[in-house]
This record gives sequence, structure tokens and C-alpha cells, in this order.
Amino acid sequence: MTLEVQNLHVRTEEREILHGVDLVVKKGETHALMGPNGSGKSTLANTLMGNPNYEVTEGRILLNGDDLTEADPDERARAGLFMAFQYPATIPGVSVANFMRMAMNAGREEPIKVKEFGALLKKNMELLKIDRAFTSRYLNEGFSGGEKKRAEILQLAMLQPEFAVLDETDSGLDIDALRIVSEGVNAMRGDDRGFLIITHYTRILNYVKPDFVHILINGKIVREGGSELADELEDKGYEFVREEVGASGA
Amino acid sequence: MAPEAIPAHSARPSAPDLVEDRRRAALEVYESEDVPTWRRSGFWTTSLRGLDLDVLEPKRYEPGLPQLDLGDDEHSALIVQRGASVVHTDLNDDQIVVMPLEQAVEEHADLVAEHFGRRLPHDESKFAAGTAAFWTGGVFIHVPKNARVEKPIQVVWLIDEPNTAQWAHTLVVVGEHAEVRIREFFLGGDFEGQALHSGAFELYADTGAQVDLAHYQDWGSADVYDLSTRRVEVGRDARVKWVPIHLGGHLTKQTLDIITAEPGSDMRHTGMYFTERDEHLDLFTTDKHEAGHTTGDTVWKGALTGESRASYEGLIHIVPKAPEVDTYLQTHQMLLSPKAKGDAIPSLIVEVDNVKASHGGTVGELDPEQIFYMMTRGISRAEAVRVLVEGYFEEVVMRLDDPGLEQLVRRRISEKLARAEDQVREFIGERAEAS
Repeated sequence: MTLEVQNLHVRTEEREILHGVDLVVKKGETHALMGPNGSGKSTLANTLMGNPNYEVTEGRILLNGDDLTEADPDERARAGLFMAFQYPATIPGVSVANFMRMAMNAGREEPIKVKEFGALLKKNMELLKIDRAFTSRYLNEGFSGGEKKRAEILQLAMLQPEFAVLDETDSGLDIDALRIVSEGVNAMRGDDRGFLIITHYTRILNYVKPDFVHILINGKIVREGGSELADELEDKGYEFVREEVGASGA
Repeated sequence: MAPEAIPAHSARPSAPDLVEDRRRAALEVYESEDVPTWRRSGFWTTSLRGLDLDVLEPKRYEPGLPQLDLGDDEHSALIVQRGASVVHTDLNDDQIVVMPLEQAVEEHADLVAEHFGRRLPHDESKFAAGTAAFWTGGVFIHVPKNARVEKPIQVVWLIDEPNTAQWAHTLVVVGEHAEVRIREFFLGGDFEGQALHSGAFELYADTGAQVDLAHYQDWGSADVYDLSTRRVEVGRDARVKWVPIHLGGHLTKQTLDIITAEPGSDMRHTGMYFTERDEHLDLFTTDKHEAGHTTGDTVWKGALTGESRASYEGLIHIVPKAPEVDTYLQTHQMLLSPKAKGDAIPSLIVEVDNVKASHGGTVGELDPEQIFYMMTRGISRAEAVRVLVEGYFEEVVMRLDDPGLEQLVRRRISEKLARAEDQVREFIGERAEAS
């Protein structure tokens, strides 16, 4: 059971951003995709979810062997893919709880029972140390950066996807919030789920230890390794990788 | 019933005479004026070319309660006018008076003489004159001083046959410190052909009164022309919350004014419209402050599908000698179809210093990022659109503060969206590709 990206080329209206990315995430694994600003990290995340602003010009996205390259975002979600957004949209007039119920029911034949939903929501809110009053607020309306990120992870915990992409979930979080969010993610790790954690910084990787690390620069993965690669990056910075890759002629 | 007290020095003509004099004067105006066309800079024109006045007639009906969906079954009073006739009156609260205006002219002559037409000049326009000249049946509501009415008063104007002319007048007098909820419905059957509702509504809220007023218009798919003027006067320290809901009408041309007339008066004016097919909606609202130390808050939201046209103009007008006013007007409009066209124009006339008055307006489309976000949660595009549009209107709907009516409005919004699903999808698709 895998999420597989094969030779992915992606462009926006202006230019090509990803120039052939290959990546395989198996269930049970946690991957970190790291890269400096403008390297194409968010483009990859958005393309995985089918954001219409990005066009795949070459390559494929496979989930458990099924080609999702042209699928609508809702089909991908129902197939088991999830993304925690870096900048989630505001949904006025829809409370956190109602939105969550709608999302859960979208993937089900029978709507979830009110009691079951309530219990699950309570459990996950406790896990993420979210105040009860939070669920009656309109989703992301007037939320602080940290609240938005927690709402994203709360959805992850409720929806229990097979593969989750976390797009810069750590940015804008203070250390306490980062720890809580990381604990939430760790609680969800297991044999039946794969994670792709996209980040600029190594901070979150101190809490959520990745099995594999990939470094994306200028739309291509230039280095891959185990969690020690993140430590190396922490010490030496992206310049080091750039120089090294430049020297090898990539 | 005790005879009404007659003021000792009353030189006023009696109510029946007053009404008859007004009819005669108005008829002259109606007959001398041409059928108007309203033009504004830009693309906007509201024309009555399609309306054939010659075939219209005031249709009379025998008493009987037609089948109606009003959201709530509970009411303190229900009065129904079908075509030109009041066909049903049901009163469950002995504090209040709810009866045909024709009857009130005789039975509540003083109140009628004092208020009838006070804020509705008969010579304002051809159709205002027509209404003043030809009105039949009509509705009179009196909520006496200190009365507290629990259940809403429901008024229904029904047109369910082609070629109907309905000349409508509603007069509402709310006494000092009285509290009441009033819902006025404008409903049409889905018949073929045209009809006219030419309406006048006036409400006077006396000192300290608390009025919760809603207008619910859903003329259905027939070619109903609605040409109406509604005015609400808010007295000293009184408060009126007014929620007009426009859910349908072939052509609607309305003037909705709320006047804070004395110090301490407060108004909350929150309206919505949703146009579809080839409907044409032209609304002009005024938040008029005639006294200082008055407050206002106006919010209007609209959505357009099909080839419909909708124009909303909202004016804040603060007259001289009205300082310390605090008021705000905002208007939003959402296009959901490539062939719909509309505008939303807030404006301001302030003739005095030392007030707080501001306005804002947006005309926009659904945000593709919001739709994408919802779809990444497994929600279909159609469902995402429905939720976003309902969420957009929710701010207005919840101000109804009336679960039954709120449900009715939500259901109608959802039905309209379902009918427009294909064009909305196409529109969003085009936008996403163009972006």
C-alpha cells in the first residue's frame, strides 16, 4: 500500500515548478520533504491533492496503484489522501463541528451517528488540547495561526486518512503548540498510515522522527536519506546541499 | 367595545373621508403619469415594457384559507389577502387588532386618520398613486401601548392566478413600549402569465417599542411584477429589526426605507436576495436619520444565478440637526453564473458634522480556494458550493430569530442552488482555468 509519485512535472500559468519528482511513501512510514522557500514543496502538496491552479504536464500520482493524476480533489480524499494546509481557507457560516461532520459523512455510506461523532470529537480535542468552545466557531474565521493548524490536525485525527501530507504545519507555531500538534501526529502513526511532512525547518522533526528525508531544491529532489540527513541539514543549512549538488553537476 | 375617545379639538377629516379624498387625488396622479422606466448610469435599466396593464384586474375571492407554507404554524394572528380580497383572518390574542384596512377605516378611524399615508405620499410615483387610488382589502395592525405579543403576527399576500392586479396597503401602528414580531409574506402560485403586486407598507413604532419585522417574498415562477414602497418609522428609544428576504419575482422594483425619527431610536436592517432565471430585481434602501443620537446597522447580501439581474443601492442619509449618529451599511453580492449581472452600491449623504457613518460593498464570486479546500475533505463540488452559499447567507438568515422561518429560507436557498448546479459548476470551472 503506497503513495507513489512518478517523474512529476508541474507548472502554473507562469512557469514549470517541479521538474520530475519521484517519491514513494509506504504505509507505516513517515517521510520528511524539506526544502528552502520557493523549492516547490507546497506545489507538490497541492498537486497531490489536485489543486486546479497547478497543471501536471508529465508523470503520475498513484495511490495503492490507482492513477489519481487527473482525479478531482474530493475523489482523492475519498481514496484516502489528506492534506493539512499551510494556509487553510476560511469557511464562513459553517462551524468546526458541522464541517467535520460533513467531511466524515462524505466518505461514508451511512452518516455517522451523532453520539459516535460527539465522542470521537471529544477524544480528539482532548488529544490536541482544544477548548470545547472552539467547535462552534466558524471554521478558520478569526482563528490565530496556531488555531488554524490545530483545526487542520483535528480534521486529520477525525478523518483517519491512509496517507497524510502536512504542508508546513510547524510554521507559525510556538513551541508548546508544536509539541501538542506533534504528539497528535505521533499518536496517529502506525502500520496503517503513511505521512509526508513538508517543512522548511528541522524543528518539527525533533518531535516527529521521520524514517526518510528528501531534500527538494529548485523543483527536484537532490538528496535522500534517513533521519540523520535532517540533522546534517540542521548543522550545515541548505547552502551546503546546494553547493554539494552544484559540485556534483546536478 | 367602548366607543373611541374623540379628541375635543379635532379638526381632522374623518378617516373614511380622508381615504376617499386620497383615492381621488391619487387617481389623478396615476392617470396623468406615464409608466416609468428607471435608468441609472452604466448598464442598469428597469423597464415595465413586458407588463400589460390593460389585462390586469383586481380578482375577488370568497373567504377561505388557502394552503400556505409559512415556516411556522404558530401565530398570534394570521390575515391573508388573495388577489383583491381578504379571505382569512384569525386572531388569537385579544391585546391586538389585526383586520382588513377597509374595516379599520370605519372601526379604528382615529388611528387610521393619524397614521394612514403619513410616510407614503400618494403622489410619489405612478404606482404609489395607483396603490393609493385602487387598494382593496388591506391590512391594519395595531399593537397597543405596553402590549407584549408572544407569537408572530403573520400577514400573507397571495397571487395565484394570471392577470391579477393586487393593490396592497399594510398599516402597522405599534404603541409605546409594545413588543411584537410581524412577518409579511408575498407568495405566488406557479401559474403561467403575468400579475402585478403594487404595494405600500408603513409601520410606525412609537416610543420604546420593540419590533421584529420580516418580509418574505417568493412570487414563484410566474411573471409577477412587484412595485412596492415600504417605510418604517422608528420613534424615541424604539428599536426595529427588519429582515427582508427576496426569494423570487419576475420583476421587483422596491424602495425600502427605515427612518430613525427621534433620539435614541435604533434600527437593524438585514436583507438578502437570491435571483434566478431571467428575474430582475431593483432595490433601493435608505437608512435615514432624522434625529441625533440614533443608531443603525444595515447589511444586505445577494446571490445571482441564471441570466438574472440584481441591483442593490443602499443609502445612508443623515439630515442636518442629527448629530451623534452612529451607523453602518454594508452590501455584498455574489455572482454564480456567467450570464448573471448585478451591482451593489452603497452611498452616503451626511449633512451634519460629528457623526459616525461608514459603508462598504463587495461584488464577487465564490472563492475557488474555498471550494478546493472543502473538496480535499471529500466534499463534492456541488455540496461545497451549497455550503458556501448557505454560509454566506447565514448571517442574514439567523437574524430572523425564528427557527421555522429560518428553515424555510434555508430550504429555498438550497433548492435554488440545486436548480443552478450545472451553471455554477461550469462557471467555477471556467474561473479556475482562467486563474
